[in-house]
Amino acid sequence: MAENISSPAATIDTSIIVKAEKVNKYFGSLHVLKDIGLEVRKNEVVVIIGPSGSGKSTLLRCINHLEKINSGHIFVNGRMIGYYEKNGKLVEESEKNIARQRADIGMVFQRFNLFPHLTALENIIEAPVNVRKTPRAQAEEDAMRLLARVGLSEKRDQYPNQLSGGQQQRIAIARALAMKPSLMLFDEPTSALDPEMIGEVLNVMEELAKEITMVVVSHEMGFARAAADRILFVDEGVIIEDTTPEQLFTNPREERTKLFLSKILN
Amino acid sequence: MYHFDWLVFWHYLWPGTALQNPLIRSGLIATVLVSVIAQVMGVILGLFAALGKTSKVPPLRWLADAYIWYFRGTPLLVQMVLLYYGLGVTHIYNFPDIHIGFVVIAGAIQAGTLALGINEGAYMAEIVRAGIEAVDAGQMEAAKSLGMTYGLSMRRIVLPQAAKVIIPPLGNEFNNMMKTTTLMEVISAGELFFGFNQINALLFKPFELFIALSMYYLALTTIWSVIQARIEAGLGERKGNVKTPGVFERLAGTKFGAH
Repeated sequence: MAENISSPAATIDTSIIVKAEKVNKYFGSLHVLKDIGLEVRKNEVVVIIGPSGSGKSTLLRCINHLEKINSGHIFVNGRMIGYYEKNGKLVEESEKNIARQRADIGMVFQRFNLFPHLTALENIIEAPVNVRKTPRAQAEEDAMRLLARVGLSEKRDQYPNQLSGGQQQRIAIARALAMKPSLMLFDEPTSALDPEMIGEVLNVMEELAKEITMVVVSHEMGFARAAADRILFVDEGVIIEDTTPEQLFTNPREERTKLFLSKILN
Repeated sequence: MYHFDWLVFWHYLWPGTALQNPLIRSGLIATVLVSVIAQVMGVILGLFAALGKTSKVPPLRWLADAYIWYFRGTPLLVQMVLLYYGLGVTHIYNFPDIHIGFVVIAGAIQAGTLALGINEGAYMAEIVRAGIEAVDAGQMEAAKSLGMTYGLSMRRIVLPQAAKVIIPPLGNEFNNMMKTTTLMEVISAGELFFGFNQINALLFKPFELFIALSMYYLALTTIWSVIQARIEAGLGERKGNVKTPGVFERLAGTKFGAH
């Protein structure tokens, strides 16, 4: 896969959902992403691991332009995200266009970020009704199907503070799916959960992994083993290793990867 | 020893007799309406100033900062006379009376309301901004990642949550507003204080009349405290975990500091 990264034809290849080319990102003087190149194919599930501060969450957040990039390109479904090119320079897209691009990319956050003033059902239909202009009845019907899928049909009228962390995260996944995204991004979706609730969220994600393209920042190795097509090991803003789960667990190439794995697997 | 004129006192305290006097009747109506309209203006201006202050566009930030700086940094009374007499004498705007059916809205009332509203906006700006900032940044991110624009995210997600933080101090601002309308007396706007002052000019019973007048303001602010407590209890109910102060704590000012 690595040989495709610089090929310009790849941007119009419809089987490629995410493509990042030479992405650089700074926080002040801190170089957090260094010439990142990445491709995610349709229906692929890519898990990103790495020590904290390695840039893995930043990389994820650049994919839906929650973070700006300093150079490089990120394409989702062949469209450049957040910027357009003018005389060889990157110019930030209008807010409206960025919003339109984000509508097709689902994101699940570590802290769930459910809307506390809305019920579970209202959380799910909020964007379909107000962004996609789906008729309310239709949106509610879709939402009920999604609630059933995450196993929370009976919680439709509960407010987030009446739900457990695991339940909130499952609602958050349903909320993202309600926009019928072509790509789902998960930013450490189980890190804020009590241990007994991690399983229920991972189960939902594993089911989802069978049918949608996903990029997941997570250290849940069980999930990675079961659902990931590829694992990326990121350290100090560089993708150190891009390989299959079997390969990574049995025979990591880099010394840094071995060291990191030995830490998180124990 | 001063002879307290109970007849005058009761006459002007008891609404049944006092409100027969057109000065007091229209004065009371003016005080309530001016307070409500000026407060609504203040909230709207405050909202825009708060959004300006938190904006990424520097000129908007400067504009909001200058507005807040000037109107919080100069006396309301001076702003009011400047607006009314200043605009009048330059013929920029004379504040002509407005006739709506039988109702006449005097120029002084218009100018006073405008000054109160604009001044209030500068104070509301800080309250609204604090409300917006109290909402977790993750809320805006979640809304944006669902494809919502800044405006839609603000309107649907951030402001409804900020409202819970904004409403208690907003209630206190309104309490203050009802009392601050008395400044309009200076530009001879016919509110309640003006009405009592006119009557005092005839009767010269300042002790009796102004005690009675103070009772009217006390009644207004007390009624408002009850309404405010109800509103906040309603908000707390939905949120499920906020204990709001009761009417007595509120009146005695044990929870919220007075201005």
